[in-house]
Amino acid sequence: MGSMDEVFKALADPTRRSLLDELFEKDGQTLSALEGRLPMTRFGVMKHLKVLEEAGLVTTKRRGREKLHFLNPVPIRLIHDRWVSKYAEPWAAGLSELKKDIEEDSHGEGI
Amino acid sequence: MEKVFEIYIKTTPERLWEAITDNAQRQKYNFGVGVSSDWAPGSGYEGVHPGAGISICEGENLEIDPPRRLVQSFTALWSDQVKSEGVSRVTWEIEPVGSSCRLTVTHDQLNEGANSELYGGWPMILSGLKTLLETGELLDTPGSLRYSEEGIS
Repeated sequence: MGSMDEVFKALADPTRRSLLDELFEKDGQTLSALEGRLPMTRFGVMKHLKVLEEAGLVTTKRRGREKLHFLNPVPIRLIHDRWVSKYAEPWAAGLSELKKDIEEDSHGEGI
Repeated sequence: MEKVFEIYIKTTPERLWEAITDNAQRQKYNFGVGVSSDWAPGSGYEGVHPGAGISICEGENLEIDPPRRLVQSFTALWSDQVKSEGVSRVTWEIEPVGSSCRLTVTHDQLNEGANSELYGGWPMILSGLKTLLETGELLDTPGSLRYSEEGIS
């Protein structure tokens, strides 16, 4: 697993975040499956997966001839325990609720 | 469904194995829940919360190979919803890397779309295990204390 710098760097790219979201939706996907779900070349997906693997955010397992990619949420938890909880957790919890309420209200009013 | 959790911890495989299988140490990073077993091949284990006095989970030790590999069946017992998920499997693998260990926890044989309570706690548990082994201290973020003795009192 990489350093926290590598984790932040990996998360700084929107394409890589969408790859993590794909794996969050459906874990244990092959390169071909991920390629089919994203508007990107095979080479592009490979390149981004490599950065995510080096940061420890994606871990792989061989299953027969296939290589499956799994989202490893542990580095994000470590960032949370190191940064978020210290500075913001009691507030962040309240703010997330507030955001949810506001968004639900807005939705109801058809905005 | 299968979930994989990986973490690097600066410790020896022996100390890591002990922290996973020792009841008192386990309670310190596992939402206050220990593990009780005689660790004989084919034995069972039980996760008990001493404060609440109830079994949180139970299962069998399917493979025991200290300090490298532990495979356990897992049945969650903390609510009717999680009980209805039935039996899944948890594999702990310890691999030395330089002066650290890579710990991989694979939680598989989960139902498709399984209740996320079954596997959602692993990142926090592993983060607490890392803090305990590397600093000797307890992770004291509000989330990690939620179900511990300190959090309940």
